[in-house]
Amino acid sequence: MEFGWDDEHSGYRTELVSFLNEELPDHWHGETAILGSEANTKYSRRFAGLLAERGWLTPHWPVDFGGFDASPWMLAVLGEELWSRGEPRGPQYMNANWIGPSIMANGTPEQQARYLPPISRGDVIWCQGFSEPDAGTDLASLRTRAERDGDVYIVNGTKIWTSYGDVAEHCYLLVRTNPDAESHRGITVLLVDMPTPGLQVSTIPGVVGDHSFNELIFTDVRIPVANRLGDENEGWTVVREALSYERVGSPRWARAAFMLNETIEVATADGRTIDPIAIEAIGIAKAACEAARVLSYRVIDERARNIPPSPNGNLARVAMVQAERLVAEACLAIDAGHTLTYRSPSNYQFRKSLAAGVAAGAYEVQLNLISRLHLGLPKG
Amino acid sequence: MDFNLNEDQSAVHDAMSTLLARHAGPLRLRELGGDEPTYDHELERHLEAAGFLDLAGHGSTNRLDAALVQEAISLALGTVATSSRLLIAPSLPEAIKGPVSVIAAGHRGPARFAADAVALIVIGDHEVRFVAPPPAPVERVVSRLGWPVGQLDDVPHGDVMIDVDPAEVLAWARIAIAIELVGAMRFATDMAVGYVTERKQFNRALGSFQAVQHGLAECAVAVEGARWLSLEAAHNGTPEAAAAALTHAIQATKVVFPRTHQYCGAMGFTQEFDLHLATMRVVALRAEGEALGRPGMALARQRWASLSS
Ligand SMILES: Cc1cc2nc3c(=O)[nH]c(=O)nc-3n(C[C@H](O)[C@H](O)[C@H](O)COP(=O)(O)OP(=O)(O)OC[C@H]3O[C@@H](n4cnc5c(N)ncnc54)[C@H](O)[C@@H]3O)c2cc1C
Repeated sequence: MEFGWDDEHSGYRTELVSFLNEELPDHWHGETAILGSEANTKYSRRFAGLLAERGWLTPHWPVDFGGFDASPWMLAVLGEELWSRGEPRGPQYMNANWIGPSIMANGTPEQQARYLPPISRGDVIWCQGFSEPDAGTDLASLRTRAERDGDVYIVNGTKIWTSYGDVAEHCYLLVRTNPDAESHRGITVLLVDMPTPGLQVSTIPGVVGDHSFNELIFTDVRIPVANRLGDENEGWTVVREALSYERVGSPRWARAAFMLNETIEVATADGRTIDPIAIEAIGIAKAACEAARVLSYRVIDERARNIPPSPNGNLARVAMVQAERLVAEACLAIDAGHTLTYRSPSNYQFRKSLAAGVAAGAYEVQLNLISRLHLGLPKG
Repeated sequence: MDFNLNEDQSAVHDAMSTLLARHAGPLRLRELGGDEPTYDHELERHLEAAGFLDLAGHGSTNRLDAALVQEAISLALGTVATSSRLLIAPSLPEAIKGPVSVIAAGHRGPARFAADAVALIVIGDHEVRFVAPPPAPVERVVSRLGWPVGQLDDVPHGDVMIDVDPAEVLAWARIAIAIELVGAMRFATDMAVGYVTERKQFNRALGSFQAVQHGLAECAVAVEGARWLSLEAAHNGTPEAAAAALTHAIQATKVVFPRTHQYCGAMGFTQEFDLHLATMRVVALRAEGEALGRPGMALARQRWASLSS
């Protein structure tokens, strides 16, 4: 056991940080720096392109697909440095982390030739069409129906809470192809080009900063069978594999630590004193971020050793949610009355922290898995 | 000691409910702008006309009736600065007509109602000042926390209020915020209970999961604790009780705010769903409570003199 970084990874971090210090100051502020805003998504196309030029957008991809087989640690350094600045890749981190790899693992050569190059160039937005009005936490109960008609699927149904659905060029869509099978069995992944006839996208105004959700209504949308990813009715396995490491793919703890820093800097620059209560809260929040960090590293270590995903991923995710909430508490302790300004860091962090336990799967489901798989408690 | 409303209080409660059902509530808040509303002068006029804003007379030490009225207003998401009129004004030499903004001396930055206020009440360590009219014009600040907010940069000195005890005024300001928090937290908890009762996943109501039940049960304990402590403080009016009420109400927000959102899932993040109308207000009230000086610290120091620096 040891906790040091080897030269390769610390060298990479130095290089990356100096690139970020050069690129970001001119672009990364105001609305652009708010993940999910229109300006942010727009800037992500420039930024991801610059990363791509340096081979840093998809370094962990195999050489055949334009990567250089970089270690999971390099990807972790990349994720950490970018999230600690608020994630300038915008939604494109999903492409690099799991949408691309899922297409590599399950796609036909035609699909790979079509979808992967734009991802590795950094110039495409994907959205994730999973949740439905009646299928949230219980995702496997999804009902959006795809019926085969010759060489197309005819899709009918509603997806909801689709982040980036209004700007995406493609949707990684989960549909039900066999309504008679047991719920996990009859699901299929389709790669949908957007816009497409019969698909109506409408925005659902939200309360988390500029992030807005969308509703996607499919009415007799015709999707070529050639756009199916993996086998029919095998979608659950495909998507589970794709997301198996995603619990630590978005190092939310790094963004939380960044917000903590922002709040302190804004308050200090404004000439406000930070009292001992707030200072203690800052320390507690920072320690929680560090705990989430080390628990995430443990998962990356497993991945680097090709150990199958374990409940350590659930532990890390729960720790991240807790860190986000403690950071919100600390930001409020620092800002006190200044929280009443919409653009203040604490106002923003409070909204953001709400999503932490919901957005990538419910906190309680993580706790259920920890109880069963980590503690070995009996099933209820 | 009696935990039930007496006849007069019941009558007020019923009349308030009728008035608020007609002139307040989430729909009214949405008419005013939702999480970025304008001041509800109309509601204030109705409350005034019905005589609800003068329940605790000048010098009154028992403001429980006033606190009950304020709780109902807060539960109905009223966008009015009535808590200062109902709970603080009886400690001041002059009556307050119209909205005021209550701030700590040295306050600089955003303050609730500052752009609508006819006066500022500035609470210092040794004196309370009255700034009327406030420095004009006070610029509006977007907060998206469910209240009209104004920016106070240079607060004029104003007039020292003679024969006013700053500790007493601060105590009532704390009770006022605690009561407002209780109303908003009750609204949020009710929304979450409603959602998990209706919403089915895994072929069962979410509210049938024990994890959800326990989480909401803890919200209930937090809110009940804050509620009774605040009402008791409004009855007793001591600085120590006031600091305890606000400290506990703020602690309760740490349970109620994340949990109610957690259990309402993505629905809770939409403008369309009413939950945020209450929870965002909770954030603002809590910020205001902290801005008046850390209540937990105040409580500890009031109780144990040895802790004062
Ligand atoms: C910011 C944000 C972005 C999102 N982006 C996307 C996206 O791009 N694409 C997409 O498909 N979806 C997206 N979602 C939706 C997200 O995946 C769902 O919100 C999530 O799966 C929960 O579903 P739900 O909201 O319907 O909550 P519900 O299923 O209604 O659950 C509500 C709450 O009930 C509790 N609960 C549920 N089940 C259990 C249980 N078994 N035991 C104990 N408690 C339980 C949990 O607290 C849960 O949060 C996003 C959500 C958010 C908040």
